[in-house]
Amino acid sequence: MSTDTTTDRPTREISVTVNGEEVTAEVEPRLKLSDFLRNYVDLGSVRVGCEHGVCGACTVSVDGDIAKSCLMYAVQLDGKEVTTVEGISEAGSLHPIQEAFHEEHALQCGFCTSGFIMSAREFLAENPDPTRAEIKAALADNICRCTGYQNIFDAVERAADNMEGD
Amino acid sequence: MSQTGEAGTEAEAEADVETDDGTFVGTGLNRVEDHRILTGEAEYIHDITPEGCLHMALLRTTHARADIVEVDTSEAEAHPECELVLTGEDVAAEYNPMPSGLSGIEEWALARDSVKFVGEPVAMVAAPDRYVAEDLLDMIDVAYDTQDPIVDPVDARRDDEVVHEELGTNVPDEEEFVFGDVDAAFREADTVVENQYSWGRISGVPLETAGVVAEYDTERDRFDIDCNIQLHTLVDDTVYEPLGYDPDDVSLSVPPDVGGSFGTKIAIHRYCVLAAIASKKLDGTPVKFVEDRIENLQGGDMHSSDREYLVRLACDDDGTIRGLDVNFVDDFGAYPRYPVNQTLKPLAVLTNAYDIEHVRYNYELVLTNKTAQTAYRGFGVPPHLYALEMAIDEAAREAGVDPYELRQSNLIGPDQVPYTLPSNNVYDSGDYPGALAELKDTVETQELTEGGLLDPEVVAQQREEGKYRGVGYSVHIEPGVSGSDWTDRQRTDRETLENRSREDVAELPEYLQGSVDEDGTVVVYLATDTSGQGHQTIVKQLLADELELLPSDIEVSYLDSAEAPTEYGTAASRMAVMLSGAAQGLAEAFADNFERLAATHWDIDRTAVSYRDGAVHRANSDETLSLADLAAIDEDYQESLTAAEYAYDHPASEIEAFDEALTRKYPVYPTAAFAANAPIVEVDVGTGAVEILKFYSLRDCGTQLNPTIVEGQAMGGLAQGIGAALLEEFSYDDSGQPQAITLFDYLLPSVTNVPEMELLHTETPSPFTATGAKGTGEGGMIDGPASIAVAINRALEPFDVVVDEIPATPHRLRRKLRDGDE
Repeated sequence: MSTDTTTDRPTREISVTVNGEEVTAEVEPRLKLSDFLRNYVDLGSVRVGCEHGVCGACTVSVDGDIAKSCLMYAVQLDGKEVTTVEGISEAGSLHPIQEAFHEEHALQCGFCTSGFIMSAREFLAENPDPTRAEIKAALADNICRCTGYQNIFDAVERAADNMEGD
Repeated sequence: MSQTGEAGTEAEAEADVETDDGTFVGTGLNRVEDHRILTGEAEYIHDITPEGCLHMALLRTTHARADIVEVDTSEAEAHPECELVLTGEDVAAEYNPMPSGLSGIEEWALARDSVKFVGEPVAMVAAPDRYVAEDLLDMIDVAYDTQDPIVDPVDARRDDEVVHEELGTNVPDEEEFVFGDVDAAFREADTVVENQYSWGRISGVPLETAGVVAEYDTERDRFDIDCNIQLHTLVDDTVYEPLGYDPDDVSLSVPPDVGGSFGTKIAIHRYCVLAAIASKKLDGTPVKFVEDRIENLQGGDMHSSDREYLVRLACDDDGTIRGLDVNFVDDFGAYPRYPVNQTLKPLAVLTNAYDIEHVRYNYELVLTNKTAQTAYRGFGVPPHLYALEMAIDEAAREAGVDPYELRQSNLIGPDQVPYTLPSNNVYDSGDYPGALAELKDTVETQELTEGGLLDPEVVAQQREEGKYRGVGYSVHIEPGVSGSDWTDRQRTDRETLENRSREDVAELPEYLQGSVDEDGTVVVYLATDTSGQGHQTIVKQLLADELELLPSDIEVSYLDSAEAPTEYGTAASRMAVMLSGAAQGLAEAFADNFERLAATHWDIDRTAVSYRDGAVHRANSDETLSLADLAAIDEDYQESLTAAEYAYDHPASEIEAFDEALTRKYPVYPTAAFAANAPIVEVDVGTGAVEILKFYSLRDCGTQLNPTIVEGQAMGGLAQGIGAALLEEFSYDDSGQPQAITLFDYLLPSVTNVPEMELLHTETPSPFTATGAKGTGEGGMIDGPASIAVAINRALEPFDVVVDEIPATPHRLRRKLRDGDE
């Protein structure tokens, strides 16, 4: 895309491990991580909702920590590992968190869902047996405009129960 | 760009769980839409990027009111990666203006001579990627001659200066409706209360912004447009008219997944038109545009109601409310989209759940230099219920009675239902006083006890800390299932309304089409779009019951605007009711065709065959033909008897009680879902911050097709109601600059703002609809804000402070607590 040679905009080569696979690309330093993942690596689960770090729809995992990919540049990912929803379960099957979102009707339009799943995944990895107050704090950086959150709460609790002993 | 195949529903065997009586309607069937979304496979509009696609960006003015002196695009055009630059003059030279919500106003997809609100697009560019396209915008120079903007809607009515010179006024529409003898009611009442209430400009702000990918077909001279517009089979005229093409030559196709709309995406035609024009200029190269969030918030044509109310109530000392007088000014910004519809829809719930005989309803529609207003969940009703309920509170205060008692004594009784409003809409069914009493009993049992949220000891303790608790009780009606032609009242000469007859009324049905695949799968096509409501799931449930199949035997997909008949679609809480009727009709048409085909095949009389349990049975024999058999037979006969279609008429068209309203073009909403609400709030009088501790809501939408989805709609709507009541507002400063253009300024409720919701459900089936269902898509947003304001009023009773401005922000409440109710 922005590798057009008719212009003299600078580019840089990056090498990123995306969902376990090595990806090498020539990118402009201004390319947002969210756009890199969507347009260069074709990861549609990364949703772009505000591009200023409020809504959380673009949340991914970078070296094991969640990050809002609209607030990072692709060049910052050089040498790092990134995980998106496409990388959390085997093709055709659902991760226990995805399963719980389905069972609890924790999504309507679904545009925020990937971000919530990534936030919940990191949170439950660190707090396998959370209180509701802890869940609330963990989800405060993701906006959902459809569900009113109660079912998302319930889904994260259900996932925690189902993942016990994992 | 047909959507078939992308709407994959991954029906699981586990989804085929029936109720005890073997039916699927009424079960909380898990949604069949979820799998593709959860795995990231769902394709929203931003996922559609055809090979070689160019990206559009829009230059938007930063001035609220200015004449355009010159647009210099030379530097942008000289850039090696610039594929196209267009200005307002370029568009006007070959195309038409966009349809306006009121006659006498001309609006172009790009501004021509003047700009009228901050964010109005002035030029467009196309480039190989969005980053470059935005670079090009910086190279366009626009010279403006700026003027003082018209910002205050109340002042704007003086017409000292006007937004549209050709109109000559800032009040292009106003109307007064008088029902009963209002003057006498106010003259004879013991007391008249009067107060002003303000409702701030808010909107749906879906997580996904508006987007479009347009492709011009050079050989056939037509357009294929993928976009996330709402009501694509109804409002396609907003795209083909500006382009100057026939409806059949402009195909609007909506992805199976849209990231929320809530009404707002009805008005995204500007982007569709511009991307289409660009693709044609570029010889059919596809052109894509997705709004960024700042564009969406400041100039996305999606703000909604912005009203100043003056409400009067005529009351007797015994608590009887004799009369209601509602006056308001609605600030529609620079270009009204659906103005009269939105100012008139409250007539469908004119007195909410109260029995009030004499009512005056008067509005002034005002234009200012702000972003255009369009639809948002509730479509003009939420502010009306808010203003009315505040006036009821005022009357209780004045009379020194408990507002719960005043409400109870004026509610429409169960013996009065079906109840015809003064404005001629009819409430179908419900026991409103019973619901309110039941809710109060529940709340008091659970919370007015030791350790409960309303435990007097706890309440007193909290007051020591400056935290005041209150619970407010109120009942609200949700008008469901619009569909008659009242929505074009503004295009009708008001005098000719006197001479209309019932035959002049146009209806907007809901359409379903279907066919049987060779493996026996029934494939059904919706003629509307969807944005998270689970319509694929609902249609599967309905048709599984009607055709005696399993949900997994049915696939549900979508038609584009050229394939589908003009009909209505997803709005006004229509789909539960309209799809119920449409599914029944489609199933009957299918069964009839299956039987005819089988009779022909067996060469026997029609009466000797019957369809049941997914097959046609031959009388007095074991012979059957499955749907797969029928599909194979149909191949041979070529009679298309395994296909069927059905258009379900609006239910009100069959019911005489609605004739008067239909004929006079008053809003007709034949279902009245209702909610008794009791939010428990705590106001920190030191900061003015409101916390909702718990939200009790007893809700009734008639027969629930899918209780899980019903509850999801209720909770999501209430969350939006909480945002409207406490957080959200598109305010403007005196120079017409929008003050909320990021999500840091426009505050959407997060998990920290939305409390635990305790929902109770009752089912009072509607006598007017096919399954007894009532529309329930808008409920929480309609009843949430008013009921929260009622609760805050109770909490702040010791200070004599009431909520007369929405949103009730900490700043506003603190000011009132400090300065008193001046």
